Amino acid sequence: MEAFLKYFDLLELSQEAGIEDVRKNYDYLKNLYSGDSIEIAALNTDFSPELRQEYLARLDDAHEKLTQLLENKKPAVAQNTVRMDDELCDWIANIACFSGAALKSIRERMVVDLKDMFTTTRIQLQYLEDIENEVFESFRAEVYLRSYLVEYTRFLSLDTPRVLADYLPRYRAWAASRTTPAGMPHL
Amino acid sequence: MIWAIGGGKGGTGKSFITSSMGTYLAQKGRKTILLDADLGGANLHTFFGLTRPRYSLTDFFDKKVALQDISVQSGIANLDLITGSIGSLDSESINHGQKQKLFRHIRALDADHIIIDLGAGTHINTLDTFLLADRMIVVTAPEVTALENMYHFIKSAYFRKLKFIFKAYDLTTSIQETWKNRATYDIHNLKDLIIHLKQSSDRVRDIFDREMSGFVVHIVLNQVRTPRDILVGENLKSVCMNFLGLPVVYAGYARFDEAVLKNINSKEPFMLSNRLSPVATEIKALAENIIAGTHISVRKDVANGSLS
Ligand SMILES: Nc1ncnc2c1ncn2[C@@H]1O[C@H](COP(=O)(O)OP(=O)(O)OP(=O)(O)O)[C@@H](O)[C@H]1O
Ligand SMILES: [Mg+2]
Repeated sequence: MEAFLKYFDLLELSQEAGIEDVRKNYDYLKNLYSGDSIEIAALNTDFSPELRQEYLARLDDAHEKLTQLLENKKPAVAQNTVRMDDELCDWIANIACFSGAALKSIRERMVVDLKDMFTTTRIQLQYLEDIENEVFESFRAEVYLRSYLVEYTRFLSLDTPRVLADYLPRYRAWAASRTTPAGMPHL
Repeated sequence: MIWAIGGGKGGTGKSFITSSMGTYLAQKGRKTILLDADLGGANLHTFFGLTRPRYSLTDFFDKKVALQDISVQSGIANLDLITGSIGSLDSESINHGQKQKLFRHIRALDADHIIIDLGAGTHINTLDTFLLADRMIVVTAPEVTALENMYHFIKSAYFRKLKFIFKAYDLTTSIQETWKNRATYDIHNLKDLIIHLKQSSDRVRDIFDREMSGFVVHIVLNQVRTPRDILVGENLKSVCMNFLGLPVVYAGYARFDEAVLKNINSKEPFMLSNRLSPVATEIKALAENIIAGTHISVRKDVANGSLS
């Protein structure tokens, strides 16, 4: 039980909390700390990308463990993900490069609405659209984009490492093209 | 009870909130004194339509008049004002002895509530006055720079308080050592430092728990324009605890209202000339929360509605 105390703590709940509270607070915190709202942005160095990633990972962990505890059973595997038929699988396997446009057409062939994706991942619609349209300016740093992409691909049951390997270099190329030459400070 | 109102950024509404809460408390029959400690830009008196107060803190510092003798009437029963010195003094020119004397006189004032308007910034004198209070209040606004300044302000105040405690318990050198070697201990910020120190010895942990348990900052969110803005205060509770390691109470908010701007320079303070304004209701609620030390209750789904 000791170990669970810190999970309740992390979710800012007392030990008496039920599964509904766990879900509610998880959604609230996940949404608050994945986003770029003013109260988060103003933290500056007190909330570095590393801290953010680490915190979100602990949050996911706490949520998972407490859900298991409270449901008193093994978690259902990939409940909210999408079922795929063989034809679709083949088509996806033959995609040469998982660009934003490719992701979008996959999602559309699966008849998945971005709103549903938001409901589960709590990633704001704008970011989901920006991933598909490769609006890279929207992402302050690679870690944000990366964590959104992971959620995105999980939701569609795609091969996450492969998508990252295709997609992130596109972001990096864009990021490299806009940095000023060595030694020149940003204005 | 002594209240101090700071917050870092200028123009967030510290003086407006001070004058309005003071008016409310006085109307409730509590003897209240407002002290304008914004030594650079004292203007609290203008919220009561006073142009040239008869006395100011200059008389206290330069002419050695007792603090209670330089208070002036605000025009409202039960409410007196100790005005700042307009332009003639700044925090830099007050020495340690004068500051201690001022604090002694503040504590000795005869009133139910003393509310100190601190002005902007994080000068040491400002922080020390903040720490003097039974209720430490920051007024901020839902915008990035105001929040940045507020975080900076409460961290500075906390750090200042820590320094006093370190000194009192002769811990300063050991803490400086820890900070110097912070890389070895994987310490990145104030919160890590505190956790490390508390784990390092039971004695230090006891000192922290005893001395810092009273360090609670009350947040007032002013110039709120949307329901989402109201939630900012709610989110700050989590953010301050998680990433600064500091407990805060969300005492309440006051919305942005043109009527506040229009009321400037009028003879009557806002709370009296705009009794029916929602801002007046919000000020009352937050003053009561500050007295009781309680949070405003915000429904997390508030962001979907509109300011009624
Ligand atoms: N809720 C509000 N709605 C509309 N205007 C407001 C509100 N609160 C404050 N103001 C206006 O904002 C301006 C700044 O307010 P105020 O002087 O109280 O800020 P302050 O924090 O004391 O500033 P300083 O740091 O310069 O002392 C004033 O013109 C005031 O009337
Ligand atoms: Mg002011």
